[in-house]
Order: sequence, then structure tokens, then C-alpha cells
Amino acid sequence: MEDRIKKIYCPMTETGFYILYCLQKPQHGYGIGQQVKEMTGNQVIISPGTMYGTLSKMEGDGLIRFDHEEEKRKLYCITPLGEEVLETEKKRIRRLYQNSQGEEYHE
Amino acid sequence: MSNTKTFTRIFTIADYEEEENWLREQSKKGLHLQKMIQPFVYIFEVGEPEDVIYRLDYRNAKGDQDYTQMFADYGWECCGRCFGWIYFRKPASAVNCDEEGELFSDSESRLSMVQHVMMTRMLPVLAVFMCIMIPQWMNVMNRPDEIALEVIFSILMLLYVILILHCGRKLYSLRKKLKKF
Repeated sequence: MEDRIKKIYCPMTETGFYILYCLQKPQHGYGIGQQVKEMTGNQVIISPGTMYGTLSKMEGDGLIRFDHEEEKRKLYCITPLGEEVLETEKKRIRRLYQNSQGEEYHE
Repeated sequence: MSNTKTFTRIFTIADYEEEENWLREQSKKGLHLQKMIQPFVYIFEVGEPEDVIYRLDYRNAKGDQDYTQMFADYGWECCGRCFGWIYFRKPASAVNCDEEGELFSDSESRLSMVQHVMMTRMLPVLAVFMCIMIPQWMNVMNRPDEIALEVIFSILMLLYVILILHCGRKLYSLRKKLKKF
């Protein structure tokens, strides 16, 4: 992973993490928003401007790619680089969680 | 035939929040934005008073069917465009939580919109001012026999400076406010 990507995405925003996580399956912006809302019990709501901006930025940085179009909606999916970033983030969050429970973290 | 009302209004790049509030106030009086004619003519349809939330996004790219479609999926109707600003609206009754009434859910993306406005609008204006307006003005001021031209040009320059200072100061403070979150 390039240093530039690491600098931008590790750690990443909550919005970024959820979007990347959802794009393990092809999905469009609104669909991602709905899925995130459901899986977080309405705790994380991503507005359209934020969604559109994050998708464009991630596509530009090669974390996700355009998959296909359905009724004027662009569907995206994760790339190998995106998977690498996602794994790095998952590890970081696991460490954070274990430490927050008073446990020590070992890789 | 539907009844319309026309307004003219000057809106600078830094006043998007005031613009949103103004449009919302109009809708409460039963005036709903129907059409905009650049640079500052607003045509409203006269109808029933309704609380409608207006929000502006800034974007200077073309070919954006998927863009407006995504906002439509979220319940935002695209109702106007003006110099890169895209106007969206949604009835307040359709908003169940604060986030649903906003186009941006984190300060990072809101900040990037403000920065985008600064880079694509403020910088070019500033460049034109420094490289063209100032040399022209100095040129005019060197002609002793044309007082009227000198006065007109100086007033124009003053307006230009006021506008640049107003937008610059405001965008700067917006950026500062957003960075604090």
C-alpha cells in the first residue's frame, strides 16, 4: 500500500469504513446508506452529499471501482487495494475494541 | 394558468446558508422556487404555504445523471442551478432526524465543499483582479484628463474589493468553523 493511501485512509472516517465494508458486494450510494442505517440501528446516517463525495474520492484513489449501472444509478464494488485498506482498518478497530475492554492486544 | 412571482436577488458564493434560509422562508409564505435565470432572477410559483427545506451543493462538473438520481433517492428534488450551485429541496414533514435534513453528514465532506468553492471560484477571481484589474486601474489613473473614467473605474474597483473581502472573510470563517468539529 502506498504511503499516500495509508495517510488518507488509515485511520479512516466512520462513513468511509461503512461504505468500504458494504462495497464487498456491488451496491449503489442510496443502497449503501440504507444498509448502514439498518446494520447500525439508525446510529450511522450518511447524507447524499457525503456519500457521493466519498464514493468519488474512493474511486479516484482506487479503493473501489465502478461495477455497472442500473436505472441511472452507478453501482460500485471494492478493489484489491480497497480490501487491503479494509483489513488494516478492521485490525485497528479490533485492537481498539480489545484495549477498550481492558485487554491486551496481540497480533 | 399558474400564478408566478419574480424576484431579483444578489447571492455571492459565500452566502449559501443565507440563500437556503431565504428560500425556506419564501416557501412558508407559499412561494415555491420554480425556475432560476442566471445570474439573479428567481421565479416562484404561488401556492399553499408549506415548510420546505432548501439545501445547496456546489459542483462544477457535467454529466451528472447519477448524481441527481442519488439525491432523488434520498428524497431531495433538484429545483435549480446557478453558477455551479445546485439547489435541492425536501418538505420538512419528510425529515425524521437532523441528518435527513442535511446534504452532508460529516464536517469533513462539508469542509471539502467549501474548499472546492474557494479553489474554483475565489482563486480565479483573485487572479483576474491582481493580473488584469489592478494594472488597468493604474493605467486609467495615469490619464490626467479623464476624471469621469477615473471615478467610474475607482468605484468599480472598490466594489470589487468589497466583494472579494466579503466572500474571502466569510468562506474563511466557514472553513474555520467546520474545522473545529
